[in-house]
Amino acid sequence: MKLMLVVLAGGLLLQAQGPVPRPAPELRIVEASGKTTMLSSYRGRVVLLAFISTQCAHCQRASLVFEQLSHEFAGRLQVAETAFDDAADTTAFTKRFGLTFPVGSTSSDAVHAFLGVAAGARVGTPQVVAIDRRGMIRAQSERLGSPLLQTPEYLRDLLNAIFRAEAGQ
Amino acid sequence: MIDHSLVISPLGALLFHLHQGFWLYAWPMMIGFVTIIGYQAVGRIVMMGAARWPVVFGLATLVSMLSLFGWVTMVRGIEMIPLYGCGVGLASAMMSRVYAITMPEISLPCYPKLKMRIIRIIWRGDAEGIEQLQRVLRARAEAAHRGASSEAGVEAARARV
Repeated sequence: MKLMLVVLAGGLLLQAQGPVPRPAPELRIVEASGKTTMLSSYRGRVVLLAFISTQCAHCQRASLVFEQLSHEFAGRLQVAETAFDDAADTTAFTKRFGLTFPVGSTSSDAVHAFLGVAAGARVGTPQVVAIDRRGMIRAQSERLGSPLLQTPEYLRDLLNAIFRAEAGQ
Repeated sequence: MIDHSLVISPLGALLFHLHQGFWLYAWPMMIGFVTIIGYQAVGRIVMMGAARWPVVFGLATLVSMLSLFGWVTMVRGIEMIPLYGCGVGLASAMMSRVYAITMPEISLPCYPKLKMRIIRIIWRGDAEGIEQLQRVLRARAEAAHRGASSEAGVEAARARV
């Protein structure tokens, strides 16, 4: 009985995820060129951040959506991606999909910590996070991924809602 | 997970869920249904023995292509399995009510010289249709029994079933 409870508690812990809204933790985005950007330097702009695997087809499709949105909301939106798959070639990825926003890489542990997910828990990619101008996470993918947060129509509505909420404050 | 204080138009999410719902649930059901109907229909037409081999070849090829097209478009996740099964079950249940499928040759009323084949379904409850089919099958068997000289009889029977 005790063992079952321990297993159940362990399982629930692995399912856990950081609440929304919450302040975005600091994150270091290291691009292949060596350029390092801290997430906090984007404060004052709405940020669409995605944690990706360069080999994942959904991430590749979502990257094209993010590129489109970065042009639509130019000046108001900062898009960034961070790959956390082993041996991710972000230079080739950026070139292949013609991405103009920063694509860096980071460790899997850093991604788990940022998302508020237990270390070692399985995470679906892409993990999309929308952060407002004050650095608050306003939307985040479910732990195993949220296809809704990869569609241009919904992301457009979400970003407009964030802009409206900030204009009203 | 979305901050619930944000006012987001539900239209985007609704369209997304409708799109997902169609591809994850309705499409597999349609594929399962059409595949079984297609294969069973071809099987029953072949069993009647009246259709010429090019017709059988064409129909079987078409049904196989259709089912394979369906399968390659639906292999996306295990959530598609239950409704694919429901589509297969529904089609099988429907086909269990079908006694036979024939392809009789008919003449167009406006131009009697032009003949064409139509697909005719004989349901289990259609006593008259079943009796007519059995008469034609008996006539064809007798014609075949009489030998090669009765080719005309076979052709006549083929035209009616």
